[in-house]
Amino acid sequence: MEIRRKAQAGTMQSSDMMVFVEPAQELTIEIESTVVKQFGHLIRQRIEGKLQQLDVRSGRIRVSDRGALDYAIDARVETAIARAAEE
Amino acid sequence: MVREVVGTQQRSQVKQFLSLFDLTFEDDCDDLLGIWDEQGRLIASGARQRELLKMIAVDPDHQQTEAFAQLVSELIRRGFNDGLETFFVVTRPQNSLSFEAVNFRLLCLTEQTALLEYGPGIAAYVDNHRPVRHDGVNGAVVINANPFTLGHRYLIETAARQVDWLYVFVVQEDSSSFTFDVRYDLVCQGVTGVDNVTVLPTGPYAISAMTFPGYFLKDHDAVEAQQLEMDATLFARQLAPRFAIRRRFVGSEPYCDLTRRYNEALKKYLPRLGVDLIEIPRATNGCDAISASQVRELLGDRSRATLEALVPSSTLNYLLSSTFNTNGLAPGRH
Repeated sequence: MEIRRKAQAGTMQSSDMMVFVEPAQELTIEIESTVVKQFGHLIRQRIEGKLQQLDVRSGRIRVSDRGALDYAIDARVETAIARAAEE
Repeated sequence: MVREVVGTQQRSQVKQFLSLFDLTFEDDCDDLLGIWDEQGRLIASGARQRELLKMIAVDPDHQQTEAFAQLVSELIRRGFNDGLETFFVVTRPQNSLSFEAVNFRLLCLTEQTALLEYGPGIAAYVDNHRPVRHDGVNGAVVINANPFTLGHRYLIETAARQVDWLYVFVVQEDSSSFTFDVRYDLVCQGVTGVDNVTVLPTGPYAISAMTFPGYFLKDHDAVEAQQLEMDATLFARQLAPRFAIRRRFVGSEPYCDLTRRYNEALKKYLPRLGVDLIEIPRATNGCDAISASQVRELLGDRSRATLEALVPSSTLNYLLSSTFNTNGLAPGRH
């Protein structure tokens, strides 16, 4: 999928995350979380896996995490990308 | 569920709700949202004016719920749809942690207020200007330059001689008679020949609607002292360390009371936060100190001779050019 426009998904409620995506030349992932020191690398891995699965090769991905579990990360990233891919 | 506040009845409900928290209702908002319980009681409210979140309050009985996070999420979602990505909130120090828990960063703290931001913010601002960062004992001036005068030029030349590198921050907030783009461009042209100078936009990190609305609103109530302290603290805590700034320079202020009080506040707060404040007497034009407000008053005449004594050739050329039209000046202050 291709990120064609700015899009957003999720909330900043506990156990959720807010995902912001926008078109960019390269693929970058920025993570903000109160637990970024402990879990930042795992959140990143999960997002990278999801992006690979969706065949997203470029775009700026910003996430604001509130302790989202893996399935929540998948769902929020996928929704944001689906919205960004719309014509 | 978060809903938009509509109609006069709901608005007065919000007004009354806010008064319980000693918060003032302000009409100027892009979004005004509320959360109501099953009985129709308002349990949370919040608003957004551009990138500033305000009037955020949650009923004490609902502060352990997700009401706060829902409300802030929705304000940010709407702001993002408006093309914004960094958001600010000014709140009481005891509320700082609630915002930090939802990934806001504390920018600065004064006795009565905390300023926080959400999003790429200051890190992105500094990243964008990484190539122009210099080591050494550096200085800064923050100017509105509405428009750039020989007085600004004198301040910059004098300051630049006293430091390794001088950063000239141009106020980015677009509330002045000359637009930011014009002011910035005239500053860049006006500092030509001073070798150790870099011109930068302030972003929202000095004299902005975030730190200092009073400067633009001519608001003379007790809020002003807080804003002055906030602006000084933000500069010392955020901008100064990132650009190795040890000295801030200001021109003495003979005309404007508010600017004089601003200088006094900088004198009071900056030194205790590790930044020296150096006041440089204004350049004079024979007998009077040069000021941008003088220049604006003279614009109607468009007299080359009078303007020439006040502004450098770059500014003069612009003021006499066909692209400049006095009718286009917005009613702002310096």
